[in-house]
Amino acid sequence: MRKEGPWSGIRTLLSRDFAVKRAVDDISFHIEPGELVGYIGPNGAGKSTSIKMLTGILVPTSGRIEVNGLTPHKQRKEYTRQIGVVFGQKTQLWWDVPVIDSLRLLKDIYKVSDAEFKRNMELFSGLLDLHEFQLTPVRQLSLGQRMRADLAGALIHTPRILFLDEPTIGVDVVAKERLRNFIKEINRERKVTVLLTTHDMRDIEKLCTRMMIIDHGQMIYDGSVEQIREKYGRHRTLVVQFEREIPEFSAPNAECLKSEGGKLWFRFDRLATTPSELIAYISARYPIVDLAVEEPDIEDMVRAIYGGSEARGKEA
Amino acid sequence: MRIFWSFARQAFQNTAIYRFDYWLQLVSVFLMMYSVHWIWTSLYSQHPAAFGVNVAQMVTYGILGMALEAIFNPGQGPQMYIATQLKTGGIDTDLAKPLDFHLHMLARNFGEILFRFGTLVLPSALISGAFLGLQFPASPVAAGLFAVSLLLGYLVLFALNFLLGMLAVVTLDIRSISWTYNSLVRFFSGQMVPLWLFPGFLGALANVLPFRSIYAIPISIYIGKLNGSAALEALIFQSVWVVALFIVGRLAWNGVHTRLVVQGG
Repeated sequence: MRKEGPWSGIRTLLSRDFAVKRAVDDISFHIEPGELVGYIGPNGAGKSTSIKMLTGILVPTSGRIEVNGLTPHKQRKEYTRQIGVVFGQKTQLWWDVPVIDSLRLLKDIYKVSDAEFKRNMELFSGLLDLHEFQLTPVRQLSLGQRMRADLAGALIHTPRILFLDEPTIGVDVVAKERLRNFIKEINRERKVTVLLTTHDMRDIEKLCTRMMIIDHGQMIYDGSVEQIREKYGRHRTLVVQFEREIPEFSAPNAECLKSEGGKLWFRFDRLATTPSELIAYISARYPIVDLAVEEPDIEDMVRAIYGGSEARGKEA
Repeated sequence: MRIFWSFARQAFQNTAIYRFDYWLQLVSVFLMMYSVHWIWTSLYSQHPAAFGVNVAQMVTYGILGMALEAIFNPGQGPQMYIATQLKTGGIDTDLAKPLDFHLHMLARNFGEILFRFGTLVLPSALISGAFLGLQFPASPVAAGLFAVSLLLGYLVLFALNFLLGMLAVVTLDIRSISWTYNSLVRFFSGQMVPLWLFPGFLGALANVLPFRSIYAIPISIYIGKLNGSAALEALIFQSVWVVALFIVGRLAWNGVHTRLVVQGG
């Protein structure tokens, strides 16, 4: 453990203090074959640690993991043949050689038959345009291309389960869209089960039907994306533009969040009141020029959930 | 077995990109072979009978010691790869593969070694055979035993390097230890100075340590210093170390895997 204060460097050098931190604590879940699950949480929540345990890389200190009837870290050799893994921040491809050479090595490592290799390569050329850069060394690829090459590498042996740890990190909007389409296609056509971690909520919105949220090593939400909309997305904001500057005021079942240049923001629970009731109440008092109802996007909801767990974390 | 060839092919593709690097290495091997040839010839001109073998044998010993460095340099062992992968967190892409980690590292390293043998050791042997007086093996039997002994020597070195790699899993950094380790290997393997020239205690120590499996045994067999039953005993010595070190390496891996730290994200 790093010391603070003067001589901290020396004191660190001489001491043997360690802080044990539970990265993942008592998480339980079950995933059906063919599901596409989003696994999210703030940085340091324990996402990557979970993925590393699920892929047999890290050995859990306690608890039980079973995927496809196998225990990842115990039957690692047999197990890893059935899964594909992409770590967005790392590459499993050889840095200096063309993409195709790395894929051929992976073909040998996974003992992929020539026919299967050919079939997969055709698929990747069609969906990922792999043929455009398969002869380029990995170090010369753009990040988007590298991610596509890594996806191809993870799928070369036709795995049943695909783990994607931040596959869209640092990738531009257009390239992200391609990656998403590809992941969706693989999930739909090949019935590959996908567990995806990301910080981009649009990945979740476009791809996943279910999401799991963890924070401080604990599962704080596991359910459908729809449910989370209902649970955390009950509030709407009504933005009203008035003719002139008016003082802040509250309406029944709605609180005024802020006021700016004759514009007021009212937050209301859509189960407690309706926009039309609210508009009727307000327009009876002041003339309205323009108005809009804002729905919270999934990012706001997740922020609310993270915030809640942050507060709980501090209490504990 | 196929996987060994796949890694060798990949090592070839990978190294072929750095052509300049390759030629530099070949030149430096040649320079080292030339110096060692020159040192032994001048020493023999002073004391022709002081070194236990004749000058042709000794020059061959010295040249082989330099030529084999291309495959026996501990700095290219799997421990360096393991340390880098630990540092960058890339180790998880290795562990996500359906390969036994121990054998995976062997295949990866042996692939490179096979490539380096073909592109560095063989050419430098041919050059020194033509210009520096490298002799043929003492006999056809010696040639065969030399080949076996060379392979065993490689396996001993690999197993030792792998153990150092296991230490890297625990300490995450092995740079300073590597430096000491590399010097130890160089010294006790008899790369520079044949072990039979070591004084009493050091000679006895070198004889029991596994390091002489690396240069001393194969080269002594090649030049005929070790022959007959002594050569066979030396092969047994190597084999015992290979088995023992592989078992220890396996146990070490099983031990450290549970405390593996994957750095970064």
